[in-house]
Amino acid sequence: MIYLLSATIMMGTPLLFGALAEVIAERTGMMVTAIEGIFLMGAWAGFVGGYLSGSLIVGFLAAMLAGLLVASLYGWICIYLKQHQVVTGVAINLLVVGLCSFLYRVIFGVPITPLTVNPLATIPIPLLSEIPLLGPILFNQNILTYIIYVLAPLSYFMLYKTSIGLTIRSAGENPEAVDVAGINVLRVRFLTVLLAGVMGGVAGAFYSIGFLGMFTTNIIGGRGWIAFAICFLGNWNPKGAVIGTLAFGFAEAIAIYMQSTGNSALFPNELFIALPYIMTIVLTISRKSFSVPAKLGVPYVKEN
Amino acid sequence: MGTAFFELRGISKYFAKVIANQDVSFSIQRGEVLALLGENGAGKSTIMKILYGLYKADEGKLFKDGKEIKIDSPKEAMELGISMIQQHFSLVPAHTVTENIILGNVQGVIDYKLFREEIKKLAELYGFELNPNDYIRDLAVGVQQKVEILKALYQKTNLLIMDEPTAVLTPQEAENLMGFVRDFTAQGNSVIFITHKLKEVMSVADRIIVMRAGRVYGDIKRAETNELELSKLMIGRDLNWVTKDDRQESLDQEVRLEIKQVTLQEKTGVPALKDISLTLHKGEILGIAGVSGNGQRELCEIVCGAILPTKGRVLVDGEDITERKIRARIDLGIGYVPADRSSDGMIMDMSIAENMLLKSSYDKKWQKRGFIDKKKLNQYALQEIRDYSIKAPSPETIARGLSGGNQQKVVLAREVDNGEKVIVFDQPTRGLDLGAVNHIHQVILKERAKGKSVLLVSTELSEIFALSDRIAILYKGEIQGVFNSAELTTEKIGLLMAGFREGEVSNDAG
Repeated sequence: MIYLLSATIMMGTPLLFGALAEVIAERTGMMVTAIEGIFLMGAWAGFVGGYLSGSLIVGFLAAMLAGLLVASLYGWICIYLKQHQVVTGVAINLLVVGLCSFLYRVIFGVPITPLTVNPLATIPIPLLSEIPLLGPILFNQNILTYIIYVLAPLSYFMLYKTSIGLTIRSAGENPEAVDVAGINVLRVRFLTVLLAGVMGGVAGAFYSIGFLGMFTTNIIGGRGWIAFAICFLGNWNPKGAVIGTLAFGFAEAIAIYMQSTGNSALFPNELFIALPYIMTIVLTISRKSFSVPAKLGVPYVKEN
Repeated sequence: MGTAFFELRGISKYFAKVIANQDVSFSIQRGEVLALLGENGAGKSTIMKILYGLYKADEGKLFKDGKEIKIDSPKEAMELGISMIQQHFSLVPAHTVTENIILGNVQGVIDYKLFREEIKKLAELYGFELNPNDYIRDLAVGVQQKVEILKALYQKTNLLIMDEPTAVLTPQEAENLMGFVRDFTAQGNSVIFITHKLKEVMSVADRIIVMRAGRVYGDIKRAETNELELSKLMIGRDLNWVTKDDRQESLDQEVRLEIKQVTLQEKTGVPALKDISLTLHKGEILGIAGVSGNGQRELCEIVCGAILPTKGRVLVDGEDITERKIRARIDLGIGYVPADRSSDGMIMDMSIAENMLLKSSYDKKWQKRGFIDKKKLNQYALQEIRDYSIKAPSPETIARGLSGGNQQKVVLAREVDNGEKVIVFDQPTRGLDLGAVNHIHQVILKERAKGKSVLLVSTELSEIFALSDRIAILYKGEIQGVFNSAELTTEKIGLLMAGFREGEVSNDAG
């Protein structure tokens, strides 16, 4: 059980990175539908950077940069060229899949055994990790999990207690009000999309070099979309995103646990792998009230 | 007079190749109320948006206290003490009064308690009743406007520009606003308000700038002019106004449309319409007055079948049509001109002919071996274009390319044909210039003369008074009373629109 809960926290970490990134960007009106591609590009760049340099830090920096690049392409097309957010995102996601497998082969050829790096080690926090029950669950994790412990409340504080947060929330509800207040709406939106790119890049790299230690083109397998869905389910609020993430992290932990124990007599393994996806669908249709940002997905066009 | 507070000199602005403003020059003094008068599309809003930094002028210069200034963004305008309240408020409905007012005026971590106190004090100073914690979406339009004004005051504005500020207000709210304008300018501040209402101009402005087709056609002191001169300057020609004398007496007393105790429950539990009963006779125009958003749209949609009432019946010629589908009602002869033509009335990217076909596309008369009989349709559309003097080169012209007035005429032509018995007009002239308004009023009266029954929803009292035989006032989904139009005065109707009941209002009130 402790193993399961600990795995929940671990598997929830990248999802929360992605979901928080999505919450912040969507609050300005930008659905980052390229999130799946950002995850994948981050996973690829993280692995390549980490493998070639031998340093995971370089890997994560590369992942952030890669996420930033994909996000800036997406942001440029959707914000400045005012193209459709869903269509653009889907196109970029497809592009990234092709690009990653192509570039992987260009660099590494087709290796007989998969190339690996040593993933992030867990860092038990002195004293805290010795608390019975909670210790091993919460405080025997890797560095990214500890970062997200700080990032989650920080993003809540930023959104609701600071002027930046007020601007972000206003941009998604009524961009004209922001414009009239003398703030550049497009820049606000673009910057949050870039932030989402950086955070999404880290999330993607978590899968390749934070956890598995290798890269395959289907490594993300829709987890970007799950982060996207968590943002919806969490009602565009960091608090809700945390709760949603725990639910999905748990579902994923069960799937991994069942796979590793090979205990598939009762339930087929595939069911558990599918669990997060089924949950997404069920929760999406069962939610009653949404507080969607009023201008979510709508490009801001000045009437000049 | 001394040096002008602000001065615009030779401003021109072009959108693509269309002239929005040409060689516009005028000034405003400290402590002055300046009215910018003109029809829609005269370039009033454009010139003000240039002063506020939302648009960039192609030619011309701006001066403050005699010194040349550059205003490239609203932020720079605000730093010079200029604030502008847009016609469509730029408030965030999902946020509180406080959050809206401080947006763009704070840095870093927000001390909400402090700001709430500040805003409360400021509101009290000007006698505004406002709770800083209220959400904008819960506030009436008149109160939202106060929030906009407060936002400007919070930024320590010296020149307040208001775009059609009274369009959404009851006469009493408008009077309060004018009171505020006088107080505010008495302290040495200046106000420019954009309007097309002559009466307002005469009551509050010190000086009047008349604009037409992007140019200034008059710069006159209020004391030296009158409404007639202003209207001539504004329109550039004389208009034959439809007046009550042009109308015939109601010919028929036979009941055509009956709305019986209709209630519409909203999802939130608040009724949008509450126990509404109205009758409409043949050859009668029943005006529905009220501030917009008090159930007008819902009432229209119940008559034309877009929504079903929670309770109550709708009858036409004694026949119960409450459960009838929209198409059955069209066939029965109910026409509907919706308030928002661009989203509910027509398809902008289709041609005039196609738009005319929209509500009768299933009719056999348009078909030829299963295909649309283009020739017949175009002939019909061409006839309508002539009858309604729609300015368009051909029936194939795409609706988007037409002016607002001509688009509205297309909808009107279609619905007048559909509505053989009843025509529902929801704000038929909103946003149109005086020429088009006049034309539409004549059409409405003509249809009435043919014996059709007209339900006319309007927020413009002058329109209601000019056309209606009887007037019903709608407030928060309830009928405040039904009157013969001769029985009502502007003051009385204003109070009824503000929620007072008939017994509480006498004719000489206000």
